[in-house]
Amino acid sequence: MTLHSPAPARIDDPALLSLTEVAAAIRARRLSAREATEACLARIARAQPVLNAFISIEAEGALKAADAADAALARGDVKGPLHGVPLAHKDMYYDAGHVVTCGSNLRRDFVAPVTSTALQRLKDAGTVRLGALHMVEFAFGPTGHNPHYGPARNAWNPDHVTGGSSSGSGAAVASRLTYAALGSDTGGSIRLPAHFCGVSGLKTTVGLVSRAGAMPLSQSLDTVGPMARTVEDCALLLALMAGADPADPTCATRPVPDYGAATRLPLAGRTIGIPESFYVDDLDADVAEAMDTAIVLFAQAGARIVPVRLPDQPPLSAASTVILLSEAAAFHAQGLASRPEDYGDQVRARIENGFAIPAVTYLEALRWRGPALAAHLEAIKGIDAVLAPAAPMPAPTIAETDLGGAPNAEAMIQRLTRFTRPVNYLGLPAVSIPAGFTNSGLPVGLQLMGRPFGEADLVTLGAGFQRESDFHLQMPELP
Amino acid sequence: MTAPLTAEAVRATATTAGLDFSPETAARIVTAIAPALAAFAPIAGTLPLDLEPATFQRVQRQEDGE
Repeated sequence: MTLHSPAPARIDDPALLSLTEVAAAIRARRLSAREATEACLARIARAQPVLNAFISIEAEGALKAADAADAALARGDVKGPLHGVPLAHKDMYYDAGHVVTCGSNLRRDFVAPVTSTALQRLKDAGTVRLGALHMVEFAFGPTGHNPHYGPARNAWNPDHVTGGSSSGSGAAVASRLTYAALGSDTGGSIRLPAHFCGVSGLKTTVGLVSRAGAMPLSQSLDTVGPMARTVEDCALLLALMAGADPADPTCATRPVPDYGAATRLPLAGRTIGIPESFYVDDLDADVAEAMDTAIVLFAQAGARIVPVRLPDQPPLSAASTVILLSEAAAFHAQGLASRPEDYGDQVRARIENGFAIPAVTYLEALRWRGPALAAHLEAIKGIDAVLAPAAPMPAPTIAETDLGGAPNAEAMIQRLTRFTRPVNYLGLPAVSIPAGFTNSGLPVGLQLMGRPFGEADLVTLGAGFQRESDFHLQMPELP
Repeated sequence: MTAPLTAEAVRATATTAGLDFSPETAARIVTAIAPALAAFAPIAGTLPLDLEPATFQRVQRQEDGE
């Protein structure tokens, strides 16, 4: 694999490089793995007391691994495209021998027996483990609250949520504590924190990246994906992780496209659909403005902008909720029966919700998925991607979303995930890109929703947008 | 499956799963999931007999040419 963004000649702060840049700098021996790791650890030490982005910080192990990577490089032994690059991931990716909490009390001492395929493929590329990132308990919530580990806090304003469930991934990438991070997206858990934290996030097609060794929430909807500072960095990680895996028979066997090459293709000649309704209704003014700005920017860069009339979206969201609640209840039935006190109020309440979904309704939701996808594909014929907000609003405050298991909690969750759940039901890929800021300085992100296995088109559009804009280059002040 | 959900029905379903929900919990669950069930109701019960869940993979991978 070729890395196409050369590292800058002068490196003032290694932590501020992109993933692509730092990987190139280490391979060229203009920067050591130890220097990169020390730079990240220094920022983590400053930010963690405020942001709570990590569940565990493994400084000693990271430095030892970085030194080993430097020694190997000195011998001419390059392990892979990410040789010596320090990364941290959402604490739900099994890493054999390490505690993987899944953001829960139930698994506070759970030592993973295997390493997840996605993580192993990044380790095989040479990455160094920095620690494990904060997440919503069992990845079951869109805010970033966690009753066991405290809330993760938004790097742009710590009174606001990060979004979830990949809460630590959003906060840590935004603050430049890690060059990138794995997230997971079952109902919006990559796109929401990407939007709220001002980073890039790629929700993959169901079946593109192996889920083996990744904590399950809903087997029909779960997807593994990267979060990073740039779409180019997301493409780099995706290229390493995608592809068939005997340990996950649901994984497609199709060849993996050259996502890196796709990031360098022009926007000219591409077609972007703008929904006529639903995704443009009842938007916060700052989100609407970001949408308008992005449309102009894409058009000026040569993309064709066309209106698109999508099938009715609320039934898709509803079907997604039916599947999510049912499957999560099944995964947690034993835990709920034996250790109910170990669950936080909100997650326990949502698991309980799943027990009330009739089995026939659940199966109807699964049966409708094929025709619903076919109708969507018919509606977007000739369109590379549909541009839409990731959420109707920027990041709400921690206080206003701290509802625990209250009767109105599910309504709040449904409001936050209104624009993300249809994509999960249809199993589509979507990339979230920073696209503006509110008057109060909170980031605003948009999502480009693609065709099944259309990640190459999405990274073309996302990277093209980032060549024409600088929203993704903005970063919050370190606490 | 379009009949409106009731707290009594929720409690009965939970009992078959070995869980004992209080009336308050059952009422909360109805409030939480009734909107999703209502929004899905126009679809539920209308699907043709021959439609299997695996149709999704077929549509997804036909699109991909796999």
